[in-house]
Parts: sequence; structure tokens; C-alpha cells
Amino acid sequence: MLDNTIPFVEMKGITKFFTSVKANDNIDIDIRHGEILAILGENGAGKTTLMNILYGLYKPDTGRIFIDGAEVVIASPREAIQKGIGMVHQHFMLIPTHSIVENIILGMADNQGILHLRKVGAKVSKMAEEFGFQIEPYRKVKELPVGIQQRVEILKAIYRGAHLLIMDEPTAVLTPQETEDLFKLLKRFVQSGNAVVLITHKLNEVMGIADRVTVLRDGKYVRSVAKAATTEAELAQMMVGREIDLHIENQWQSGRSPRSETAKPLLLMEDVMLRDKNHHPVLDGLTLELYKGEILGIAGVSGNGQEELSAVLAGLMKAEKGRIYFNDQEITNRSSHEMIHQKISYIPADRQNEGLILSMSIRENLLLKSYDQSPFFKNGVLNRKGTVENANRLINLFNIKTPDGETLARNLSGGHQQKVVVARELSLEPELIIAFQPTRGLDIGAINYVHQLLLEARLAGKAVLLISTELSEIFNLSDRIGVIYRGKILKVMDTSETSIQEVGLLMAGVDTKDSL
Amino acid sequence: MDTETKKIFGKQFKKNRYHIFNIICPVASVLLAFLAGGLMLLLLKINPLVVYGRMIVASFGDPYNLAEMLVKAAPLLLTGLSFAFAFKAGLFNIGADGQFYLGALGAVFVSLKLGFLNPWLLLPLALLASIIMGGLFGGLSGYLKARFNANEIITTIMMNYVAFGLTNYVVNGPLKEKAGAYPQTDPIPAQAQLPLLISDTRLHWGFILALFCAVIFYFIITRTSIGFQVRAVGLNRRTAEYAGINTKRVLVLAMVFSGIFAGIAGFGEINGVQHILIQGFAPNVGTIGTVIALLANANPLGIVIGSLFFGFLQVGANLISQTSQVPQNAIDMIQGFVVIFVLISYYIQYRVNAHQKIRQLKGAL
Repeated sequence: MLDNTIPFVEMKGITKFFTSVKANDNIDIDIRHGEILAILGENGAGKTTLMNILYGLYKPDTGRIFIDGAEVVIASPREAIQKGIGMVHQHFMLIPTHSIVENIILGMADNQGILHLRKVGAKVSKMAEEFGFQIEPYRKVKELPVGIQQRVEILKAIYRGAHLLIMDEPTAVLTPQETEDLFKLLKRFVQSGNAVVLITHKLNEVMGIADRVTVLRDGKYVRSVAKAATTEAELAQMMVGREIDLHIENQWQSGRSPRSETAKPLLLMEDVMLRDKNHHPVLDGLTLELYKGEILGIAGVSGNGQEELSAVLAGLMKAEKGRIYFNDQEITNRSSHEMIHQKISYIPADRQNEGLILSMSIRENLLLKSYDQSPFFKNGVLNRKGTVENANRLINLFNIKTPDGETLARNLSGGHQQKVVVARELSLEPELIIAFQPTRGLDIGAINYVHQLLLEARLAGKAVLLISTELSEIFNLSDRIGVIYRGKILKVMDTSETSIQEVGLLMAGVDTKDSL
Repeated sequence: MDTETKKIFGKQFKKNRYHIFNIICPVASVLLAFLAGGLMLLLLKINPLVVYGRMIVASFGDPYNLAEMLVKAAPLLLTGLSFAFAFKAGLFNIGADGQFYLGALGAVFVSLKLGFLNPWLLLPLALLASIIMGGLFGGLSGYLKARFNANEIITTIMMNYVAFGLTNYVVNGPLKEKAGAYPQTDPIPAQAQLPLLISDTRLHWGFILALFCAVIFYFIITRTSIGFQVRAVGLNRRTAEYAGINTKRVLVLAMVFSGIFAGIAGFGEINGVQHILIQGFAPNVGTIGTVIALLANANPLGIVIGSLFFGFLQVGANLISQTSQVPQNAIDMIQGFVVIFVLISYYIQYRVNAHQKIRQLKGAL
């Protein structure tokens, strides 16, 4: 029995800044001998950053790292490898035209001068057998399927003496069978007191293989729990929610007019299908209906197709299959320009890189979608006075804190940047508003303001598709709630007829009413 | 402005600081280039102060030389605008040399073949030919970029060699001079020559045309829909696409405009200065234009000033090498140093900006 009182690795108070974000905020974690620890969190929660720090790729701004109780400094991957830490990245670091053996010894200090490929090859084969699989050490990497390439990465780390393996989203590229094989391998690896860190946002993986789970959210540590002591639903809530307020004021009830039986949907998506570049379906037969004067909330753990859903509607991605109707007119795979002219507004999740041009002024950002519109442009020539008036009007209307319209968007705080985006999108007088994480990273005041604007838009008869991973937001605003899971809308429910528990389980892919 | 706004924005304005950077960096780059060039002259056991002093006196002291500076500046101004326009769309057009040659070819062809026309008709036609040739040639690289995502740096460089080859063919073949001795065309007729601005100098109306182009550049970029789209694509292509801008069309158009400016430079050189197309004439006009545009951070006024400065360097280098034992290369070296220091200043600006952002974030803790 191993001594588990001193953890294998401890990271204490880790903080890391990137130029525009705080990727890690005072995070403490520990990794024990003989365990598989899942680090669970949504995209952008800071999981990979934290592990890149442990692997010596990034230097933390604050914080300390201990291995077996002794403080260490890990300044480079080379030092990490020396200390027994190996990492398998999402994108493999292999040279496709080299053989497996050549890749494994690449850059190792004891291979200067003459290469002993045969000797290493035999050793690699033996190592593979110990982990329960066969490998042809002289095959070229480019001839291997992805699952085997990943094993080469793992062997490479173990060959270099790794006792801690960090796996970054290892199953993203694997088939279900390959995933199962990988998990067997990892379990065998930890039997001898080694440890594995599994970076993931997939709950079923956590439940399938991890011994313990550490949850991160928005760069912060949330909690560590033993797998046996938790459930998928609880983990889903930890991943996505602020503290979920169970006494949510049901704003959705105020001013809601019942939909007539004969009403036709404003937006209808039928069986929409879209694959990512690895040919994995990210939208997998998605169907939904949205009516005028309602807010349809789309809840779900991020990475289940939300981004693609909004991109398809905004004309930024093309569906492979399926149809989209708007106002009884088919608009499938129209360009973003045409979608804007259909009066579809889109508030993107990434305001800094998609919603705004930070090096342009507020006035110009408010103009972004009107570059071919009078009265701002006449015969292709700018009507400067008109744009200044437009900017001043919107700055006042939306209470954007700025000295004037000529201030660059980059000099605004996040909340006011978002106000610029929302102001522009609402000023286009849309019939449909797609709001994708419209309040991410905002303070309470700004969140309430954005919520209020969306509710007002609904009262004005507009349709709102609210895509959010914040359950409180979904419950606060939506008339109906749909849950997206693996590229499908699993279920759509009236907000009054569902509960946070039910939605939480659906987000993890569990339909309680089915199983009961 | 209410009190809260004042609190948030009290300390800045940062946008002003950007302006200061844009002046300090090029001036410092030029001064350091002279300093480094001076050290090189010291290695040749030449007193740099004497050389620089003589350069200034010779260039500015004589009306002919002063006019000559403007003559040299005109094509550089246009190739600078050429690079800058594509740069606004986030593209690196290294093909101004080739587009310049194509513009020259168009101008010389019209000037020779339609030489019987009235100058009021002939000169606009020659200008139009250079615009079409330069625009099409630039646009082709833009099309390759938009259609196949071909790297425009590589295609424009390759297109330069196409342009050189084409010019060599034309002056050795279809348009070779009647005497048949040299790889050059016949001289263009008098009515195809741009009139002089000042008699007894070589300064011609092409310089005014170049200045006018700088104004047009400014107008397009700041006051038109297409300029707005170009800047949006250049600053953030993803957002531009999100905003419904047809980014591919914008990329092609930006390269067309870019090629047009360089093509007009070809017209100015043929109809204003050379009056003949000679194989390998006016080398590096495009390259130096690129340096000027970078030095000026693609600002048209900055490009005007930068082209005048490089005009001065070229005239000065000529005069120095004629009147003393200082090799012309020593002055050319200063141009090289300017490039190096400009690139360093870009790096420093980048680091300073990144550093400030991190400090702001840490301050917010």
C-alpha cells in the first residue's frame, strides 16, 4: 500500500495571466499516487493552462508546485520530464514521416552520435506488451490510425520515465472502441503507483474512469470530490452554474402572452447536421422551433454544439444536411450578409474577437453591420455626421460609459464592450436575436442590464434564442428551455414544468422521465 | 461626461499615446540609421558629419537637386501607398515592383501605339492603361488569396519575376527600338510626355499626381464604405465575416487598388522621367516603397514625408559619390539600417503594449 498522506504532486495558489484574461486564478490541486484524477471544466475554464504550467510550458505568475512534498520549479518540459511528468497534448507532437522508434527517442540526450534503433525498438515492443497491446516499432507514424498515434505519445512519455501522465482531452479524436482501449491502458498504468491526470469536459468519461474529480470554472477552483461520492448531475452543476439560486424570480412569467394554437414558428430548424474537421458530428440532427415573442433557452454543457448552432444561424458555418426556415422562407446556408438582411441579429460569445474590432472606435463598431446601409453610407461614401449622431444616440440609450464615440473599443471595460455589441445588434431592429453567452464575464450590474434588454426585446415581439451554460440565466429568462447534448436538442420543456434538477440531468445526457 | 466616466477614463487617453508612438518610432529609426551608417563610414576612415553635411548642402542648396528629390520621391510615394493599401486589409503586397513594371508597360504601349493623339487624350489613356495593368496584376494575387488562400507574400514575389520577364520580352521583342541595338523601346513622342512643373529641372506633373493619389488613398480609407470594409478585414477578419462583409471580395479589391497605385508609378516614370522603357530601369522602387509604408505605419501623410526623405537619401547618395570618394553603397546602407530599426521599433511597440495590458490586469486584482 502506498503512502497517500503526501500527495504525488501539489499545486498551490496557481495564478496565470494572459494578455487579456486571467486563465488561472489561485488554484490549488493535488494529485495522488495510483489515481486517475479528472480535471473537469468547460472550454476556457483553465484546465489546459494549469497542466501546461505543471509541464513547464508556462510559467505561473504566482503559486508553488510540490512533488512528493518537496517544492520544485519546473521551467521547461525538459525539467518536467526529468521529474517524471509526461504530457500528451490534444494535437500530437509526432513527426509523421519518422518511425515509431525514431519518434520515441527524438531529442533524448543518450541518443547523440549513433542511434541504437533495434535495441530501443525491442524495448518499446516489450513496454507495449506490458500495457496489453502490440506495436510495430518500425512503422512510420503517418501510416498509423489516430488511436495508435496516441499510444505512441503515451509510450514516448513512459519511455522517458513518466510516472505522471497528463492527457489533454484524449478522447476527442478517438472512436468509442479506441476510447475503451485507452482507458484500459491508463488503468494499468496507475496500478503500479503512477498517476494520470485526465483533462476533459465530458462527464461520462469522468464517471467511467476517474478516481477523483477536480472541477474548474472560469479559471477558478470549484471543488474536488471522489467519483464514488458524486453524480453526473452534481458535476454538471458544478461545471456550469454560479451558485444556482433555487428561488429564482420567474421573470419569464411577467408579461407573457399565451401563444395561439395556430401560430407558426418564426424559426424552424429541421434535422441540421454538421461535422467538425475530424468528421465527428457536432450538430447531429438538431431540430428546434422558435416563435415570435418568446425566449427559448438552450441549456447544455459547452462543447455540445452550441457554437455551431449559433454559427449556422449567423451564416458563418454551413450545415451538411437539414433545413432552416425563417418566416416561412428557407434560409439554409445563406451567407452572414444575407442572414443579417433577414433581420437576424447575433450576439456572439466572444465579443473581443468576433463581436467587436477592438482597434476601431465605438462609432465604427456600432456601424460594423451597416457598411452598405443608408443613411450611414450614401453611394459608398461615408456620412460622418450621421454616424456620429447614431453613436451618440446609442451611447446614451444604452448608457455606455465613454468620453465619446471616438474612444477605441479596446479601452472600454468588458461590460461596456458588451453593451456596444448589444446596442448594435438591437439597433438593427432584428426579428430574431441569437444571444450566445451574452453575459459571460460581466459583473452583476451589466448582467442584469443585458437580461433586461433581452426581456424587453421579447416583449416587443422579437424572438430570442438564448444559448447559455449558465442555468440561472436560462431559468431566469426563458419561456421554454431546450437542452442540447451531443449536437441534438434532447428535449424542450416549458420553464414552469421543469426543474433545475431535470435540466441538469438532461445536460449530462440523462432523461429522468424516460428512465423512470 | 459624468463622474463615473471621468473616473474610468481620467488617466488616459491611450489613443493619444499611440499617435506619439507613431511619430517617435520612425524619427528614432531614421536617427539611429544615420548613427549606425556613420559608424560604418568611420570604418572607412571617413568623417560622417562631413559627408552628411555635404549631402544636405548639396541637395537643398541647389534648385535642380531639390527638384530632383521630388522626382525621386514621386514613384516611392506611389509604391508606398500601394503597400499601405493592401496592408490596411491585412495583406503584405511585396509585388509593387512587378505592378510598377506592368503599369510602365501599359503606359509605354499606349504612348507608342497611339502617339499620334492629342496629349489631352493620350496622357489620360496612358494613365488608364497603367491603372488597368497594375490593378489586374495586383488583383490576380488577391484572387489567388481569396480563392485558394495562397499566401500573397509568395505570389506577389513570384509575380514580380513574371513582370520582369514580361518586360524583358517586350523590350527585346515586340516593342524593341527600331535601331535594334539595346533592350529598350523607342522614345515616346513629345505629346506623350508629362509637362514639366518647373523648367530646367526634371520635375513633372507626375509628382502632383502622386500627391493627389495620397489624398485619394486617405479619402477611400477613411470616408468610403469600401475603405471601412478594408480596414475591418485588416483589423479582424473574423469579426468582418461576422458582420456580413464579403471578405474575399474585399481582399481582391484591396489588391486591385494596391496594384493600381504601383501601376500609376509606372506611368509617372515612363511619361514623366524616362520617356522610354529600358530593361531593368528603376530597380527597387517597390521595395523602398514598402519600407516607407512601414516607416509611416501606412499613414498617407507619413508616406508623403517618408518618400521625400528617401528621395533626399537617393539624390544625396548620388551627389556624394560624384563629388567624393565615398561609395554610394555607404549611403544605400543607411536605407538598410532604416529597415532594421523600423522592424525593431515594431517589436518594441508590440512588447510595450502586451506589457501594459498585463500590468493593467494585475492592477485590477
